[in-house]
Amino acid sequence: MPAFRVLIVESDAGELGELRQLIHNSEYTSSTGCVLPTSIHAVPSVDMAVGAYDEFHPNLVIFGPVAANNTVADEIRQLRQSGGVELVPILFVQDLTGEAPPPAPPTICDDILTKPYSPPLVQLKLASIRRFCEFSRSLMAQRDRLRRHHADFLQEQANAREIFGNLGNESCLDDTPAIRYHLSPRAVLNGDLLAATHTPDGKLVLMLGDFAGHGLAAAVGAVPLTSIFYSMMPRGFSMSRVLREINRKLYDILPRQMFCCLVMLELDPRRNHLRILNAGMPSPCLKRTNGELHMLESRHLPFGVLSSDQVDTSIVNVRVMPGDRLYLWSDGIHEARNSQGEHFGESRLINLLREDGDEGFQAFDQILVAVNAHAAEQHDDLSLVELDLTHASLRKSGCLAVDHGGSRKGGRVGDWSMQLHLSQQELRTTDPLPHLLGVLAQMPGAVRFQEDLAIALGELFRNALEHGVLELDSSIKATDDGFVRYYDLMAERRGQLTEGWVRISLSCREGEAGGELTLEVEDSGVGFPEVREHTGVYAGRGLNLLHTICDEVHYHPGSSRVEATIRWNGAAEQHSASESSGKAMQNPPLPV
Amino acid sequence: MVVSDRFESRVTSAVSEGGDTLVIRVAGNFDFNIHREFQRAYRNVMPPPRTFLVDLSETDHLDSAALGMLLLLRDYCVESGGEGAQPAVELMNANAHVSHILSVSNFDRIFSIR
Repeated sequence: MPAFRVLIVESDAGELGELRQLIHNSEYTSSTGCVLPTSIHAVPSVDMAVGAYDEFHPNLVIFGPVAANNTVADEIRQLRQSGGVELVPILFVQDLTGEAPPPAPPTICDDILTKPYSPPLVQLKLASIRRFCEFSRSLMAQRDRLRRHHADFLQEQANAREIFGNLGNESCLDDTPAIRYHLSPRAVLNGDLLAATHTPDGKLVLMLGDFAGHGLAAAVGAVPLTSIFYSMMPRGFSMSRVLREINRKLYDILPRQMFCCLVMLELDPRRNHLRILNAGMPSPCLKRTNGELHMLESRHLPFGVLSSDQVDTSIVNVRVMPGDRLYLWSDGIHEARNSQGEHFGESRLINLLREDGDEGFQAFDQILVAVNAHAAEQHDDLSLVELDLTHASLRKSGCLAVDHGGSRKGGRVGDWSMQLHLSQQELRTTDPLPHLLGVLAQMPGAVRFQEDLAIALGELFRNALEHGVLELDSSIKATDDGFVRYYDLMAERRGQLTEGWVRISLSCREGEAGGELTLEVEDSGVGFPEVREHTGVYAGRGLNLLHTICDEVHYHPGSSRVEATIRWNGAAEQHSASESSGKAMQNPPLPV
Repeated sequence: MVVSDRFESRVTSAVSEGGDTLVIRVAGNFDFNIHREFQRAYRNVMPPPRTFLVDLSETDHLDSAALGMLLLLRDYCVESGGEGAQPAVELMNANAHVSHILSVSNFDRIFSIR
């Protein structure tokens, strides 16, 4: 504990000596029980007192009787300023021994000592000032500690923001005009999170999540969530598999009171098929060109609440119509309050969405304006996404896929073949595509086929499973209700599957003149019907898609075997081989 | 999250006449700001109640932090149940707005609501 420092301002040596003696004799025991020493520094004038301030850092300044008489208020003010924010009491000594009544002390001093001195009174005054100083010192120490903590906290937030900013680097949110989004700068620390990427077969997957809980701790959950999303989706894992993984991970790592509300959607722009799962988020709104609004309500508990999940039965299937747009938001919008404490609420939002499209009225912008106007004095605290579901840019290749410029020349793909046989148990849950694509990703030259292969394999496998093994009839999908029923039926039959199999064979031959990759898919079903015309299994988009990608597609009535072939010419451009092998390393092993 | 004292909240609790139900009433906003009070209301109640009844009749709004607090209460019941019967958590008298929040989050699947 430092000594109590007293600065005496007095030009008269006798007066100074008397004051020194008085202060020296006064004893003080601090609140913690220590007897604390006093150190005294004396100067003859105010000017010198100002000079001594910085070095001596007095806790108390006493003006002797002579100095007190010769000092004016301005000088005291100056002295106080040199003390900074810390309050240093200033005492004046008033000499009452003379004949003439002394002038009233300037109110700018804090207290007076009167002469002749009464040692007990001086002692009392000094002790009370010291107690006051101790208190003020501890306040200052607390203030400094708080300042330090606050600075640390801001630094942590800045670091967190940077990390979360980098997590979003993999997203394709900015790659297509089909997506418009607003995420508040505070989003990270509110626990809001937006991610989007493409699957290998060109579907767009997007998720908007909101971690419950408080501050940074809630935001930390975003790390595993995005890393699962960005590592599994581009490898072709199905949405339900990824969601299950997310739930499992969050349940394992989050404290009990924390969980994550999440909307995840998968848009297949080639088949105009939207699959969406809402787990505790405000209902996304599907706006059709005829003005109809469809709210996609939450059908699942937030993730991280229960160890089990019901992902498959909670996914909603929507057939996308031209011009459909989807709006997603977090509860920051509902909960935005005005000065009366009134929420912005869902109905205001719906009204704005209803007006969208009237005379260039853009709901996206209007919602942001309206919410900010409503919650005038609150922080911007909302996340909003608009997705143009049939935007032409979505039908192009995935954002992470390499642009091959239509050329299929490149590094060597090799001579090999493999076969995968899935029986009923596997067909209930397994998703073979990521594994097949994973193997292909290891072939240096195959990377340039990845999207085509993913689409063709996906198409063939789905057809084998849905029509061959599960015996679903595509014509059910003709109506909106049927569309939904079809996928419900599929989930149901798949879950109860007791017999059936699908065999997938891939073989690749390559020589000087070129190469060909053949995909064969066969299932336990009855095979293609005799009459195909335009109602047949492959009469729809699926066949067109296969024909655009593959050079040959063969299937025969009465057989379930489909054969699709992709060909390419000789590997003349040897220089591109090294480039391709670099790209083949794009997919590191799964960290989950 | 804005911490504000303009929208006042209160937590009160009382053991029902039968003695085996603890009624916890949350008035105003059920949010993070009351998490200590809410926890104090149900912890270490002697004798341990068989049912924790969260009365939401005076609750104006409930946010995700409140849902988290309810999960903690649910967990507390699992832990404190030990070998004996596990206490139950029930929610009651929620207004339309609060009910909506509970159903959006599907919490009606894990809590009985009356």
